[in-house]
Amino acid sequence: MRLNTHFGAALAAAITAGVALVPATADEAAEPMQTSWGVPDLQGNWDFRTITPFQRPESLADREFLTAEEVAEWEARAADSKAERDITPSPEADASQGDLDVGYNSFFIDTGTQTSPHMRTSLVVDPPNGRVPANTTGALWRMAENRETWSRSPRTPADRPPATRCLIGFNAGPPMVSSAYNNMMKLVQGPGYVAILNEMVNDHRIIPTGGGEAAPAHMRFWQGDSVGRWEGDKLVVETTNFRPETNFRGSGENMHLTEKFSRVDADTLRYEYTVNDPESFEAPFSVIHDMRRTDDDVYEYACHEGNVAMHLMLSGAREQERENPGAVDDTWLPTWFKGLPKKEDLLAAAAEEGSAGEGE
Amino acid sequence: MRLNRLLTVAAAAAWLLAAMACQSPPPAPDKASDAVPLTPDGVVDVGGIWQALGTAHWNLEAHAASAGPVPALGALGAIPAGMGVVVGGTIPYQPWAVEERDANAADWVARDPAVKCFMPGIPRAAYMPFPFQIVQGKDSIFVAYEFTSSTRIIHLDRPGTEAPLPSWMGYSLGHYEGASLVVDVTAQVPDTWFDSAGNFHSDELRVTERYTRVGPNLMQYEATIDDPKVFTEPWSIAMPLYRRQEDGARLLEFKCVEFAEEAVYGHLYATDEDEAGDG
Repeated sequence: MRLNTHFGAALAAAITAGVALVPATADEAAEPMQTSWGVPDLQGNWDFRTITPFQRPESLADREFLTAEEVAEWEARAADSKAERDITPSPEADASQGDLDVGYNSFFIDTGTQTSPHMRTSLVVDPPNGRVPANTTGALWRMAENRETWSRSPRTPADRPPATRCLIGFNAGPPMVSSAYNNMMKLVQGPGYVAILNEMVNDHRIIPTGGGEAAPAHMRFWQGDSVGRWEGDKLVVETTNFRPETNFRGSGENMHLTEKFSRVDADTLRYEYTVNDPESFEAPFSVIHDMRRTDDDVYEYACHEGNVAMHLMLSGAREQERENPGAVDDTWLPTWFKGLPKKEDLLAAAAEEGSAGEGE
Repeated sequence: MRLNRLLTVAAAAAWLLAAMACQSPPPAPDKASDAVPLTPDGVVDVGGIWQALGTAHWNLEAHAASAGPVPALGALGAIPAGMGVVVGGTIPYQPWAVEERDANAADWVARDPAVKCFMPGIPRAAYMPFPFQIVQGKDSIFVAYEFTSSTRIIHLDRPGTEAPLPSWMGYSLGHYEGASLVVDVTAQVPDTWFDSAGNFHSDELRVTERYTRVGPNLMQYEATIDDPKVFTEPWSIAMPLYRRQEDGARLLEFKCVEFAEEAVYGHLYATDEDEAGDG
């Protein structure tokens, strides 16, 4: 039954993708992949690095799948660029934007060299255009507030993003996303529980698999509150009760995240999720992000214990104030936050919309 | 004598009731599995949410009650007494090390790594005043500690291997011995303590833990501590771990970084003067 379902799905995907189907050997397919207490066995160390873009690039707007040639081309390019990456020691600090952005060179950036096994042109599969729906005005305003806080020299650690404070990993989620480094997790199962340990900052969740209620609404958690249940071959996990600071592409504290974990085969874990957060996005969206089995270990990430950067940022900020009292300094904003909206732009846009409305 | 008799009578009554309920004789009890709860894989079941009671996290050795470091907390901030959990009563420090321990104790609040929300290491994680949860897989055991949301993996499938590098929670290799899970912990950084009384170790620390199921809701915890740089001989601690049994018992998030930031970085915070530019 399982075999047929998976075989059928694989066949359909292969036909849609327009590639030759290579069926799994009978031995592989017949592997039970069940725990000794009779639930699907999802255990292993799973690598979620991918070079497949999260959202579909405009150049592939009308295409759901890559061809085998494109996959080969993309992966060869990624492998070349990895081989050519900078392995020389970081240069002396020069206060350039690049220097402010990262304290290390490209050697440490590890997004992998492989596309997602499903060969899609984006990880976002719904809406069908492969793009994340627009953020609501409320979400844009929260982003602008963050931009304002993060662009000034910090009075206290609370003026820096949660990941900088080692409160939460920037790719551990939930949902888990492929990002700059530490893109792997370990999944361990015991009767009644699934544990997920992300290498990033040791973020982990212990998910009860017997269903049940989430914690009372006023209890908020950095990683939300996850409740799981089995639906056939899939582990379904509902997560709510996020802290207001938790932010996935502009999501807010009332994000309702539904994740599904299932085995595609012995070496592939299918990770699907749907983000439902009408306060932050114009529509829900869904993602399929297949993970690959790895023999690499998940190591301890002693982030807070080694957070020398926080000492340096705070002492640097105090030094700045002594040298140049009262000056506004927004050089604190790294490149990837410079795309966040500014409050004055949002207010100007709202005013324009308001006057346009009056004119009608 | 009297108690034994009562137990015998109670056991007989229980069997009778069970037999009546089943309408057939109960199966012969399997002595081994009666004594030791087993996982579906047939090894001792150590899964669940456990917590130590007592004051070992304040001081492993016997201690009378004392005032706490924060007067504003009054009675609630004071340190309760304890009879100690060190087998034999005293930690066998080398002479230089007992001086170091006393210096630690004298400057406890500034030096204790747990005050800073650093990972507590092993064995301290087991008896912090917070629960921890064991998710018992077949090849790996995942242990999550509520304090600072720290974790460790106990590897069951790679005996004899060595840690590639040191870590705060160490490198754990486990195996089963009857009713016990035995864990060898090596490669811990020297920066953790055993308690809030300044008891410490070096980078040569080697801990052998033994988790023994002794009842449906009780597990005996023993740890033997070997560190030839600091102690004259190996020594042990022992204490029970209790299963959290209340309805809805669960491990919650205690990401204490935000509670410890002022203690760690407070001297670098901006004052109103800094911000106004009058400094």
